[in-house]
Amino acid sequence: MSQQPLTTSVQPTETYGGDEVSALVLDPGYCSTRAGYAGEEMPRQVIPSFYGHIDGRDIFGDEVIVPRAGFEVRNYMNRDSVVEDWDAATKIWEHLLLKRLQPERPTPPNKNGLNIGDDGDVAMGDGDNNDENMVDNLEKPLAESPLLMTEAPWNSAKAREKAIEISMETWGCPAFWLSRTPVVASFAAGKATALVVDVGGANASVTAVHDGMVLKRSIQKSPIAGLWLSNQIRTMWEQNEPKVDLVPTFMVENKKPVEAGAPADARLRTFPFPIADSFRAFEEERLLTEFKESVVEVWRGPGRYMAPGNEDYARSQPGRVFEMPDGSNQMWREQRYKVSEGMWDETAAYASAGADEEGRVSKGQTILSLIKASLEGVDIDLRSNLIANIVVTGSTTLLNGFNDRLNMELAAMYPGLKIKVHAAGLTSERRFGAWIGGSILSSLGTFHQMWISKKEYDENGPGIVEKRCK
Amino acid sequence: MASHDLRDVLNLPSDHSAGPRPSKKQKTGTPRPNLKGLAREVQNLGGDNPIAIVPEVSIFKKRRIASRKPVTKWELKAFTNSARADDGALVLRHWKRKSEAETPSESVEDRGSQQPDGMAVDGERDTDKVDDSAFAKFNVRVAVPQYNEDQYHRNLQHNDWTKEETDYLLGLAEDYDLRWAIIWDRYDFTPKTAEIETDSNVSTAVFKPRSMEDLKARYYEVAAKMMAVQKAAQYMTGPEFELYETMQNFNPDQELRRKKFALETMSRSKDEAREEESLLLEIKRIMARTERFNEERRELYNRLDYPSTDSDINSFKSSAGLQTLLQNLMNVDKSKKRKSIIVPGAEAATPTTAVPGSAVSETAPPNNTNNSTSNRRESIAASVPGGGHRDSTAGTPATPVEPAAPNAANKKKGAAPPERRKLTEQEETIYGLMHHERLGSGPTFRYEKINKLYSHKSGQQQLRITNALAELDVPPRLAMPTAAVTAQFELLWAAVTSLVDLRKVCDKLDGEIKIEEAKKAERDKARGISGGDVKDKEQSGGKTKPGATSTSGEGRPGTKRPASSGGGDKLAAPRPSSSGTHKRSASVLSSTSDKSSKRQKK
Ligand SMILES: Nc1ncnc2c1ncn2[C@@H]1O[C@H](COP(=O)(O)OP(=O)(O)OP(=O)(O)O)[C@@H](O)[C@H]1O
Ligand SMILES: [Mg+2]
Repeated sequence: MSQQPLTTSVQPTETYGGDEVSALVLDPGYCSTRAGYAGEEMPRQVIPSFYGHIDGRDIFGDEVIVPRAGFEVRNYMNRDSVVEDWDAATKIWEHLLLKRLQPERPTPPNKNGLNIGDDGDVAMGDGDNNDENMVDNLEKPLAESPLLMTEAPWNSAKAREKAIEISMETWGCPAFWLSRTPVVASFAAGKATALVVDVGGANASVTAVHDGMVLKRSIQKSPIAGLWLSNQIRTMWEQNEPKVDLVPTFMVENKKPVEAGAPADARLRTFPFPIADSFRAFEEERLLTEFKESVVEVWRGPGRYMAPGNEDYARSQPGRVFEMPDGSNQMWREQRYKVSEGMWDETAAYASAGADEEGRVSKGQTILSLIKASLEGVDIDLRSNLIANIVVTGSTTLLNGFNDRLNMELAAMYPGLKIKVHAAGLTSERRFGAWIGGSILSSLGTFHQMWISKKEYDENGPGIVEKRCK
Repeated sequence: MASHDLRDVLNLPSDHSAGPRPSKKQKTGTPRPNLKGLAREVQNLGGDNPIAIVPEVSIFKKRRIASRKPVTKWELKAFTNSARADDGALVLRHWKRKSEAETPSESVEDRGSQQPDGMAVDGERDTDKVDDSAFAKFNVRVAVPQYNEDQYHRNLQHNDWTKEETDYLLGLAEDYDLRWAIIWDRYDFTPKTAEIETDSNVSTAVFKPRSMEDLKARYYEVAAKMMAVQKAAQYMTGPEFELYETMQNFNPDQELRRKKFALETMSRSKDEAREEESLLLEIKRIMARTERFNEERRELYNRLDYPSTDSDINSFKSSAGLQTLLQNLMNVDKSKKRKSIIVPGAEAATPTTAVPGSAVSETAPPNNTNNSTSNRRESIAASVPGGGHRDSTAGTPATPVEPAAPNAANKKKGAAPPERRKLTEQEETIYGLMHHERLGSGPTFRYEKINKLYSHKSGQQQLRITNALAELDVPPRLAMPTAAVTAQFELLWAAVTSLVDLRKVCDKLDGEIKIEEAKKAERDKARGISGGDVKDKEQSGGKTKPGATSTSGEGRPGTKRPASSGGGDKLAAPRPSSSGTHKRSASVLSSTSDKSSKRQKK
């Protein structure tokens, strides 16, 4: 009597409107692709969207990207975060959804190697290409799981149709849905209406979401994101006194500690084969991300970094030491602010010597201009509400001071309005915002009426995705 | 240490009376053991009053084994969602507690009855029986107006909108559940013809972009018109009509101006924002102050109450008139004084101040009073909605709608709030508003009005009328006396009465003709051989009993003949037969009354 059992009708999931149907959620981005089970709070699998290509074969995952002969690193996406290479995309997604996420299927007894006795029955050749054939062998590898995928809001109709085609025909999903990242990112923040500021790897975008739908005229994007920042750092290192050499970790065999500012004392590895540029760039990117995480900061104000006096002030503040893989290290003071200032102030961006066209920031590409342009694309009545519901997502927003600066700039731009910036406190929530939102969405009881079912796909063809996932 | 402990130790008797001791021991006996970890001394510090410490119950969580129920079973259950458009083609599966799991908590016989069908279901559960999602019921769709080709051409033509585009707009409205922000955002209309030649990226440029106001205006226009087509405005229910009106009155220009204004407020600077905020505060304060001021003023006016001024002033223009006026005022004043004595709350000074005040306002030319005070009063009335009697009387002459006739009925009308909304004819029919020349006091019932119609008639006439109505299957008392029905009934009633009257006249004429014929026959007989006279008399005398009485009154001054009485009977005699042939049955019933009334007439 003291312990009252929960009756079936009071299952906690229902009180939150949840109804889990073992759906899968896939969130492909330019830098990484994330996959997991709907209803969970983190993606189970996060692998780089970069994959290795060697001897005509594609290999996937972080751990396989190591120096090898004739090894190239590619990305299945283009710099707009839209899938370009569909063969690779299919393979990398299959790798995630089938190999990494699906529970191990029991090997048929004739193949599990335990029944060696009756040798005659078993065709021994089968075991070798078991992995590759797995998808082909099974009629419908995902026949049990509805799949929710995310996409960039500017994704092309063709790419969308391709996505549903693959999931329906190749994998046999019973149901499919395609959500735009800003929508699900705002769901992850618990909002159906929000102005989503997503600064990720290849793109920064600002999108207004109204009642769970993207407002197309509000979509604004610019390349001022993670990769751009990496290039800024590169330029900064080049222009630094002394020049900083970018030596990725895999190149260093052995290092000795040296004084700050002193040249490195390390023995580099040599490889008997040429290292592809793409591989090196990928490895450099890792190092640069590390630098972003630990050193780079956003100038919080007052005013812009370039305002007189601010640089001197920044110089007087305690800096941060960053040690390169080769052991050389240096204290970074004002540069760590300056390198990110181009996001906010186009005049502050480093102009790189080589690819000057890429590093250039135009006035319309700063985050503030994006927000402004985005708001101009929506009805006046919505604007104040959107400004009061800004959701910040994407890994590059993890830069220290990013939110403070955003707040400050917005307050200066819209002085009379209430401004509220919602940024998840947990770094993982900001990195996987879109995935988490997809996980929430696809485990909602009310969502199940939205899925595009196999039957609907069969009747209408891939064009249905344009009609339904609006 | 408490005193009784000492006494305990020393075996001394308690200094208290013996009464309360044992009872106290009982009381403290129970909570003490619970206060563990507290030295006895500390506990006893409280003495007779127990220490106000809530004992912390440190019991371990009950062991799970305590519930000896079997583990609840969960199953992967298939379900569909009826809100989906693909009629159950998508079967999803989620984990649910097995339904048998809930039977143990129910009563035994319940379980007994459920077991068999539970087992029966078991077999087919995975295949046939598929639940509907509990969330399907949350699916709500908006209703978007529908029209067909014909209706469109008759009602919805617009020279800026083609039907194709209107269709497109309504489709979007339905798709996006009337969320205008999205509709406008996605609005991208390309006519069919143009679509063929252009390849997606060259579209829209040719067409002028529609603003959200354009879209809304068109949609509301269509919706309102279709609403009116489906249901005439006067039959709409209140909310329906309200919706209809708001849709009809949608003003895109005003919306545009509002938005422009909103845009300006968005782009104001910090200082401006602050200034506006302080101004708003100021306004609030001012409003509060004026409200208080108005309140006070109203109170003051209430004190200065004066008799109504809408009466004719010409009588006061002579000195004699003024004299009577003064007299009146004195009387009023006296009564007021009495009143103020009765009401103790009023200040003692009010009656004295009230005298000159009311006198002035009364003696001043009423035209002036009206003009000067009504303005002031109106402002009061505006700020105090539904203001007291005082405001409304002042407001009466100010509203041009009301004729300022100084009668009681008018006053009653004036008692309504002065700022009345002028209703259109349509609204009047909707709200069932009627204008009457004059209304009696108090509520009346419509059937009473009908009863009143009867009461003017004599009993016989009433009877005849009811008979006629019964013939027509109309009940004498209406079951549903709505305004329309009573009006109709009144018409019918008037027709019936005139019918009855006419019939009476007709009967009378009939009778006279008969008499004349009888006279003629008599005369003929008198001229010829008089034979069947006696037989005739006997006949009539035996036939009609009331004839005996009627004959006594039959002595008509017009006919002095002895045969006249026989003629009268003769008149009565053929009647039943004649009525039987050419009159309807209802008249048969009323024939006796006819006769008697005829007799009265005669
Ligand atoms: N803590 C950090 N601080 C700053 N930048 C970071 C941090 N962690 C990762 N980044 C950068 O964020 C970028 C990856 O962001 P994210 O994972 O959001 O991109 P994505 O979603 O894969 O790409 P996109 O959204 O452009 O398609 C990389 O450029 C990486 O360098
Ligand atoms: Mg992203």
